[in-house]
Amino acid sequence: MDCAVALNPLAADMPGSQEPLLEVRDFSLRRGKAVVLDGVNLALQPGETLGLIGESGAGKSTLALALIGLLRPPEVQLEGSMRFRGTELTQLREADYRRLRGNKIGLIFQDATAALNPCFTVGEQIAEPLKRHLGLSKWNRREQATALMHSVGIPEPRLRLDAYPHELSGGMQQRVMIAIALACNPELLLADEPTSALDVTIQAQIMELILDRVRALNSSAVFVLHDLALGAQVCDRIAVMYAGQIVEEGPSERVLASPLHPYTRGLKSCVVELGSRTLEPIPGQVPPLNAMPAGCRFAPRCPKAKAICGEQRPLAETRDGRQVACWFID
Amino acid sequence: MSDALNITATPDSQWKRRFMQPLLRQRSAMVGLAIIALYVVAAVFAPWLATHDPTAQDLMASLQGPSAAHWLGTDSYGQDLYSRLLYGAQLALIIGFASVALGLVAGVAIGLTAGLMGGRTEWVLMRIVDGLLAFPELILAMAFMAVLGLGTENVVYALALSFVGPFARMTRGDVLQVKNQPYIEAAQLMGVSTAAIIWRHVLPNVVSPILVQAGMRVSIAILLESGLSFLGIGVVPPTPDWGLMISEGRGFITMAPWISGVPGVALAILLVALNLLGDGLRDAFDPTTQKDA
Amino acid sequence: MQEPIFSLLDVERTYELRGRGWFHRTARQLKALDGVRLELQRGDTLALVGESGSGKSTLIRLMLGLEPASDGRVLYGQRDLSQLDAEARKRFAREVAFIYQNARGSMNPRMRIEDILAEPIRLHRLCAESAIPERVAALLDRVGLPAGLLQRFPSELSGGQIRRVAIARALAAEPQVIMADESVAGLDVSVQAQVLNLLRDLCCESGITLVFITHDLGVASYLCEKIAVLYLGRIVEQGPTDAILNTPRHPYTRALLQAFPRFDMPLKASLSGEIPSPVDLPKGCRFAGRCPEAQAACRETDPALTMFDAERQVACLFPVATA
Repeated sequence: MDCAVALNPLAADMPGSQEPLLEVRDFSLRRGKAVVLDGVNLALQPGETLGLIGESGAGKSTLALALIGLLRPPEVQLEGSMRFRGTELTQLREADYRRLRGNKIGLIFQDATAALNPCFTVGEQIAEPLKRHLGLSKWNRREQATALMHSVGIPEPRLRLDAYPHELSGGMQQRVMIAIALACNPELLLADEPTSALDVTIQAQIMELILDRVRALNSSAVFVLHDLALGAQVCDRIAVMYAGQIVEEGPSERVLASPLHPYTRGLKSCVVELGSRTLEPIPGQVPPLNAMPAGCRFAPRCPKAKAICGEQRPLAETRDGRQVACWFID
Repeated sequence: MSDALNITATPDSQWKRRFMQPLLRQRSAMVGLAIIALYVVAAVFAPWLATHDPTAQDLMASLQGPSAAHWLGTDSYGQDLYSRLLYGAQLALIIGFASVALGLVAGVAIGLTAGLMGGRTEWVLMRIVDGLLAFPELILAMAFMAVLGLGTENVVYALALSFVGPFARMTRGDVLQVKNQPYIEAAQLMGVSTAAIIWRHVLPNVVSPILVQAGMRVSIAILLESGLSFLGIGVVPPTPDWGLMISEGRGFITMAPWISGVPGVALAILLVALNLLGDGLRDAFDPTTQKDA
Repeated sequence: MQEPIFSLLDVERTYELRGRGWFHRTARQLKALDGVRLELQRGDTLALVGESGSGKSTLIRLMLGLEPASDGRVLYGQRDLSQLDAEARKRFAREVAFIYQNARGSMNPRMRIEDILAEPIRLHRLCAESAIPERVAALLDRVGLPAGLLQRFPSELSGGQIRRVAIARALAAEPQVIMADESVAGLDVSVQAQVLNLLRDLCCESGITLVFITHDLGVASYLCEKIAVLYLGRIVEQGPTDAILNTPRHPYTRALLQAFPRFDMPLKASLSGEIPSPVDLPKGCRFAGRCPEAQAACRETDPALTMFDAERQVACLFPVATA
C-alpha cells in the first residue's frame, strides 16, 4: 500500500486530547488478494461513543471483529496498527488477547439467539466471564450475575438465572448479551448491530439501556450500524465506511446534518424518513472485493467524479471539524 | 449474496462449474471412469470382439489354458472364456443398469405418492418401505428369486424390487422438504394446477440427488447379480455370466484356475472402478469438500 | 361510492395449541386476529404496520385465501372468499398477486428467470405463445433490470435483483391488487430506495391497489396513503397516512412514532415492557399492560375499532387528544 494517508483524526485539532483509549492507524486487513479494510484511521477517547456506519460489505463488522481479535493471521493478514491503551493489538499473543476479551473489551453480537449457547442457562453464561477473568467464587458469581441481570432490566432476575436462552424473548436475550458483555466492566464495548433483529419499540429500549450502562461505567463504545438516523441519535462521533475505507468522520450532528462526502450525501438522500417525499438511490453497486477500483473506491458511482478520482486515492482533509476523504469537497 | 446452496438448488448451468470441474480434478475418479468406459466398449462391441460363440461347447478343447485359439482358455464345457468374458460384461452392465432404472422409477413413484399425499397413505406406504429396508438386499433378492424363479429377466425384477426401499425413502424425504418451500405455495397462489406443480416444481427439485444415488447403486446391483448367479439362484447356464462362471470354476481351482480367476478379476476391477467413480461423484457433490468458485 | 374490493367483517383467526398434560385437556388458544374490520377500495395503497405478534402476516394470508377465517367473513367484491368456485378462484389468482418476504424462496431454483416470469402469463393465457418472450422482456425492463438476467437462475441474482424479479412476476398477470410482505426489509438503503421508487411509480401509473406489510413506519409513509396499525391481532388505528403521522390517536401508534429513529430527535424509549404473547390474552384492552395512559376501565373493556372522525378509526377508550 502506498503512503497515502487516509483519515487521521489525530491531525484534527481536538482541544485537550488525552491519550486515546483506542487508536487505529493505517490499519488494513487482507484476505488473500482482497483488501477488505484499507488504511483505516480511528481514535476513540475514554467515554466516547463512535458509530461505524455503512451498507453491507463496507467492512464495519470486519473492523469490529478485528478489534476484538477474532480475525487474525493466518486467515487474514493485518497491516498497520491498532492500539488499545497503548498495547499493540496486532502483535498480541492469543493468550494475552484472551485476557482482554470479555474483560476489558466487550462485544455484543447482532443475533442474540445465535450467540447464546442453548445448552447452558443464562446465569451460567453471564457468570462465565466473571469466573474467567475475575475469579469470583460460585456464590459471588451468582450474586453478581443477578445484579447484572437487574441492571439490564430483566424482571425477577433471581428466577431467570436458571432459565435457558430459548425460554426468553428476543429482547430479553439481547439484554442477557449486554449483561455478558458488561460483566467485567469493560473499558471498551463493541456492539455489532445490537438491535437489528428486534422490534422497533424494543430497539429503542435496548439502545437506551446500552447507552445508560456505558455512561454509568464511564466506558467507550463503538457501534456498528446500518441505520444512519439511529447512529445520529446514539453516537457522539460517526465514521462513514464505504468498501473498506472511511470516507467521512466527525461529530455525528455535523456529519449527518450537513454531510460533505458524496457518499454520505447519497446515503442521507436515500434513507427513508417519516414524511420523505422523494428518495434518491445511489446508482450502481458496491464493487466486489476482488475487483476494487484504483484510486477512490466510490468514484464509479460518484456524481462528482473526475479523472483524478480514478487514479489517486484522496487524502484526508480536515474541513468543518471533521475528516473527509474526497478531492472535491465544496 | 451468498446463500448456502444444496444440490437440489443447483441449476444445470452451474453443474459444469460446481461438479464437473471438481470431478475432473479427482484423479482416482477419472481412472475409474476410464476403466468403466473400457468395459462399456467391450460390452457394446462384444459381438464383434468375441472370437467364438460364448455358448458353443467343444468338449474336446475343455479345460485348456490360454492359447492362440482360445485367448483366455476354456472352461469345463470347452466354452471360450474370452468370449464369455465379453458377453458377461454385457450382461453385468445391462442387468446392473436395468435393475437400478426399474427400482428407481418404482421407488420414486412410491416416495412421491407418500410424500405428496401424506396422511394414512403415507403411513401405509412408508411402513411397507420400512419392511423392505429391514432386510439386507441380498437376502431380499434371494427371496424374490425364490418366488419368481430363475433366469436373467427375473434377476432384474428381483433386484429392482430390492432397490425400491432405499429410493422410496430418499424420494419421500426430498419431497417433504420441497413441499414446504415457499415456491410451492407461491405456485398454488398463482393458480397453477396440482399436476403442473408436481411436474414442474416438485419433480425437478427432487430428482437430481436421486440420480446420483442411482448411479452409485449400479455397482451394488452388479455385485448382487453376480452373487445370486454364483449361488445358483440367478441366471441359468449356459448364459455367460461372471458369477456363474466363478461358480462353475470352483471345482477346478487347482487344475484350471483361470476359469474362476478370469471372471473374478474382471468383476473386481469393474467394482473398484465403479466405486472410485462413485466416491468422486460424492466428493464433487459434497459442499464441504469444495472450494468456492 | 364504489363497492370495496376487499371487505373484512369482524374477522378472527384462532389457532388451537395443544395443552400440556396427557389428555390435552387445557387447550390454549392463540388469537392471531381478533375483530378485524377493514375495507379496501380500488386504487387504495394501504400499509399494514405492526411488530412481532401483530398478526399482519396472518391477515394477508386470510385475504389471499391461504387460510380460512375462524370467524367473520372475508369478502372479495361481494363474494365470500371461502365460497368461490374453481373458476372464480382462478380469476382471483390472476387479479390478486402476492410478493413473498422470502423472494428467493418463492421461486423455483431450477427455473430460469424467463420461465418464472412466463409462468403466470402462460397459465392465464394472456397472449400467444410466440409473444411471450417479448412480454417477459418488457416486464423485466419495467422493473429496471437488464434483459441479460432472463437466462439466469434465482441463485445467481443479488437480493435487490431478486426482489425486483418478484415484483415483475407479480405484474405479469396484470393484477388489480398487489400484496407484498416486507418487500424491502433487509436491503441496503440504496437498493431499498430503488425498490420503493419502483413500487411507487407502478402504483401511480397503473392505479393498482396495494397492500404492503411492513414494520417500518417510514416505508409505510413513503408508499401508502392509508395506514392500519396492528397490535396483537387487532387494528388499533386506521386512517390516512399524513393524519396518523401528524396526530396519532392511539397510544401505541404514538409510541411507534416516537421509537422511529430520526435525525432531529434524541433517542427516547417510549414504551417499557415486552410485547406480550398472543396466547391467552388478558382481559380488557390488549395494550393496557404497556400503555402509559392506561386507566382502570382499560383493563375491563376491550375496545373495538370505532370511527373517530370521518376518516379515522381508533380502538381505544381514551384516544390521545392532542398531537
